[in-house]
Amino acid sequence: MNFSHECIVCIVNTGFSDAVMDAAREFGARGGTVIHGRGTASQETERFFGISIQPDKELVLILVPHDLTDPILHALYRAVGLKTPGQGIAFALPVDQVVGLSTLSLSENSEIPTEPGTPEK
Amino acid sequence: MNEQEQKKRRSDRTEKKNGRAKRDDALKAPKKLKLLFTVVDRKKAELYADLIGAYSVNLQVLLAGEGTAKTETLRLLGLDDTARAVIVSVIRDDLAPAIFDMLEDKFKTVRGGKGIAWSVPMTSAVGVAIYQFLSDYREGREDPVRANERGKSE
Repeated sequence: MNFSHECIVCIVNTGFSDAVMDAAREFGARGGTVIHGRGTASQETERFFGISIQPDKELVLILVPHDLTDPILHALYRAVGLKTPGQGIAFALPVDQVVGLSTLSLSENSEIPTEPGTPEK
Repeated sequence: MNEQEQKKRRSDRTEKKNGRAKRDDALKAPKKLKLLFTVVDRKKAELYADLIGAYSVNLQVLLAGEGTAKTETLRLLGLDDTARAVIVSVIRDDLAPAIFDMLEDKFKTVRGGKGIAWSVPMTSAVGVAIYQFLSDYREGREDPVRANERGKSE
């Protein structure tokens, strides 16, 4: 199956969705949607690892072309990964069909493909 | 051949045909499912949920979301209306093209109804009843897609 797009899901502590979007935008993402959630982690795990887990979370959904997935995931790992205050995890889901993506949603950084035969400016 | 014999033969043939159709149905692989994400303006969430619901969709979850502001300036000025709704629906794979066509049409025509939708394939579901619920399978009922196709051809 051909997956032209992927849906990046990034779960971070509340207040870090802007950092997620900043990191993603740098590598060509245009926009995203933020959903509020509540993380669950057992108290035992928290005690074992000696960390406190903030329960309030933000889920950021970003739809991106397949070739941008890897650079964005790496950028998210660096900017809001588990070793940062954002304590984020990010993963990508394969998307097999999309509607509603206008030409405006093409990445500002990505090149708009030219028609075959048209001279490049 | 008298009339009675002819009638019996005809009814036998119909029974055979029905039996074959039933067996074919039983042998058919279960329909695949997908998770459809639709992001629209929060005011239009109910409208889109109803539109999608008309396509044999039994499970939908509406989540309140926020769009990410296009620019920092717009956000500081409070000019960005970012209230969005995320509709998560479990749809049947064979109905996906029809749903996407409908959504594409509505995104273009509904005032203030622009949005984006995408689907993610589902690989497993546990429990026969759960699967039947998600795929809107009801024994004895004609498949709505087939009925629609037959209606078009007639």
